[in-house]
Amino acid sequence: MRPSFFHHLHPPTIPADQARWRFTLGAGGLSLFLAAVLLVTGLLLMFYYVPTPEEAALSVQTLTFLVPYGGLVRHLHYWAAQFLVITAVIHLGRVLLTGAYARPRRFNYLLGLGLLILILLLDFTGYVLRWDEGIRWALVVGTNLLKTIPPTNLGQAFYGLVIGGTEPGAATLVRFYAWHIVGLFLPLLVLVGWHIFRVRRDGGIAAPPLEVADGILLGDELRRRERIDRFELVRRETIAALLAMAVLLVFATFLPAPIAPPIGTTDQQVAHAQAPWFFLWVQGLLHLGDPFWMGVLVPLGILVLIALIPYVLPQPPPEEQGRWLPRHGRLAQVVTVVMLVFLIVFTLRGLLEK
Amino acid sequence: MTSMPQYVKILLCSFFLLLAVLLAGWRYSQQPKPVALTPVLSKETEYCLTCHANLPEISPSHPVETFGCVICHGGQRLALDADLAHSTMRGGRNPSDLSVVEVSCGGSNCHNRLPNHEGDLYGNQIQRVQTSLQATYAGAIAQVRYAFGAQPDPSARMGAFAVQDTTLPTSTNITSLSIFDPKSEMNPAIRSFGENCLYCHLSANPLPGPAYAHLVGCAACHTPTANTTLEQPIHQLTLAVPYTQCNICHNRGNYSMLDMQFHPRQDQAVDRLRDYYQPIAQFTHCEWTLDCVDCHTRVEAMGDGDLHSSKKEVQYVQCRTCHGTLAEPPLTRTIISPNDLAVYLAFINPVVGDLQVGDTIVVTEKGEPVWNMRRVADGNFELYGKASRKRFTVPLVLNSKCQQKEDEQAARYCHTCHIVERNSLK
Repeated sequence: MRPSFFHHLHPPTIPADQARWRFTLGAGGLSLFLAAVLLVTGLLLMFYYVPTPEEAALSVQTLTFLVPYGGLVRHLHYWAAQFLVITAVIHLGRVLLTGAYARPRRFNYLLGLGLLILILLLDFTGYVLRWDEGIRWALVVGTNLLKTIPPTNLGQAFYGLVIGGTEPGAATLVRFYAWHIVGLFLPLLVLVGWHIFRVRRDGGIAAPPLEVADGILLGDELRRRERIDRFELVRRETIAALLAMAVLLVFATFLPAPIAPPIGTTDQQVAHAQAPWFFLWVQGLLHLGDPFWMGVLVPLGILVLIALIPYVLPQPPPEEQGRWLPRHGRLAQVVTVVMLVFLIVFTLRGLLEK
Repeated sequence: MTSMPQYVKILLCSFFLLLAVLLAGWRYSQQPKPVALTPVLSKETEYCLTCHANLPEISPSHPVETFGCVICHGGQRLALDADLAHSTMRGGRNPSDLSVVEVSCGGSNCHNRLPNHEGDLYGNQIQRVQTSLQATYAGAIAQVRYAFGAQPDPSARMGAFAVQDTTLPTSTNITSLSIFDPKSEMNPAIRSFGENCLYCHLSANPLPGPAYAHLVGCAACHTPTANTTLEQPIHQLTLAVPYTQCNICHNRGNYSMLDMQFHPRQDQAVDRLRDYYQPIAQFTHCEWTLDCVDCHTRVEAMGDGDLHSSKKEVQYVQCRTCHGTLAEPPLTRTIISPNDLAVYLAFINPVVGDLQVGDTIVVTEKGEPVWNMRRVADGNFELYGKASRKRFTVPLVLNSKCQQKEDEQAARYCHTCHIVERNSLK
């Protein structure tokens, strides 16, 4: 069969062992698929969304309730965004627990980390675009964290840059809109392309080098040498995409995206005094003490720690690549699990503490 | 699934996706079809009728095409999700609750406007209601505090809520009331009064039980709730307020100064005569054949905009208002402008028929129109019941055999002769 354009986006063959679901978890591909869903649904939402404080929440209500299938599109956008955070984190976890961050993939690891940051920021800016009582608390608390950055002038400058004034208002909404639609999305596109390019450039999916003894492939090596072609790969991706879309549709059909009255129309914002779920761990941390330390430095420290893993911790050698929990990656695995537990514990704290 | 050929897997997953699409389509088909309404006043399309199409129109004065729902009720006009749509409703089910009435009933220069009819001496109904005794309960509070030595005189200092008279000058020299807080009172009788007796003014959430059930705000009087349980919302406002509506608060039992408790009525009234409020009260024929609003005026019920200390200061209509005295017939005014307040009131509660320029109506001592009572061609006066719509001929004292003295015009003097014994009529 003659490969199509879409087939040509894939490598001709990849090692069969590492192409298995149980190795990749499909997380990278699913992230890409979810990003595509987000792009399409986001474009549709843009036809109705009005980024002004007076109209934003009302336009969200319009497209949710009155535009034919507008609610479905919005709920798909919402759920794709939530799942994207999950699949991206799973992808990062897979890379850390299989040692795939090791040289020569260290730089691509950083690109991937950059993508995760962009995804989180896109999620947060998209969340704020609702501009309803459900987001007010998180917007105020989240942006106030910037003010805590010393010296005061610098914190205020950061705050002013993000908010566009002395308090959240029309300028804030326009800025968040611009960041969401262009400022964060375009870098995401570039980084996605770069990330995928680097996967190919770095030798495809991480796999152990072939070992040849006296010119004869050993038993295991024979199996390792098995590869699947791009047609098989695309078929597998198709299956994953079909299933993912079906799951997304079911979620979007039965679990609508959150919505609340426009800002300023009710005093019920106390009921929504909660960060979006992916930042609940920061909310949990804020209960511990100084907001600059807990809300800015600790999250930044965690980010730096994750970024440094390939550079400061022992790396699994090439022959340990392509498998779960390589022996020489123990330290990174422990750090990963500890961080995961840390995030879960503080997310629960943020969830339970008001 | 591992042994399945890939194309079968793709077909199977396509089938799952198709199922999900069909599910989404089915779910969408279950959504109600939006019913849009763009009210004349707000010009902002709202979709409340999607679910509330069967609600009766609240009154002829508030046609839904003109007002819509949101202008009074608030809420999210575009939302088709009940929780979101109702989340910002003003006053819950009752937008006339005094805490929100300024916005819901006054909002677009409606009931809070200044006088805009000739003969309208007061205007701003919302300010008047909020400063009225029925809302502040200031009279009872002042009397009880004075009786138990908590204040040196019976003039009002406190209300059921803090309120200011924003329309100075004032005829009573009371410019504001602070909130009455029973907990800060030293005398146990006053505390008991505060704990037990503050549940019937216009902003009070009533105690549970049928003896206490009433609506608050404007709806307390203008939404007919007599003989209902109040469990189902009643979407109706009326100017034809029957006596049964007044009875909900004014004839449901008595507060006892002995134990500072409210004692609900135990008897079951079999007819209106025996249902007359206050067991020891004296009353005349017209007081139990007419409805309260046939004689008592808007200002008496809703206030005159000043803060008062006693019902005596605001309830001024006497028998003479309609019947006149031996020396003179009732005060009258001939309507000379189609913009007269009386014409307007007769228009919005059309019981009198066409009231028009040239008609002569009765007016009170304070100049309020008794618009449902007018002089007819033969010189007699006729009164139409605002709620009953019955026509009554009003006998005058002038040229009658009445022996009243000129300086004894209060109702109690009339009661001396015209009292109706409770058991005298069957």
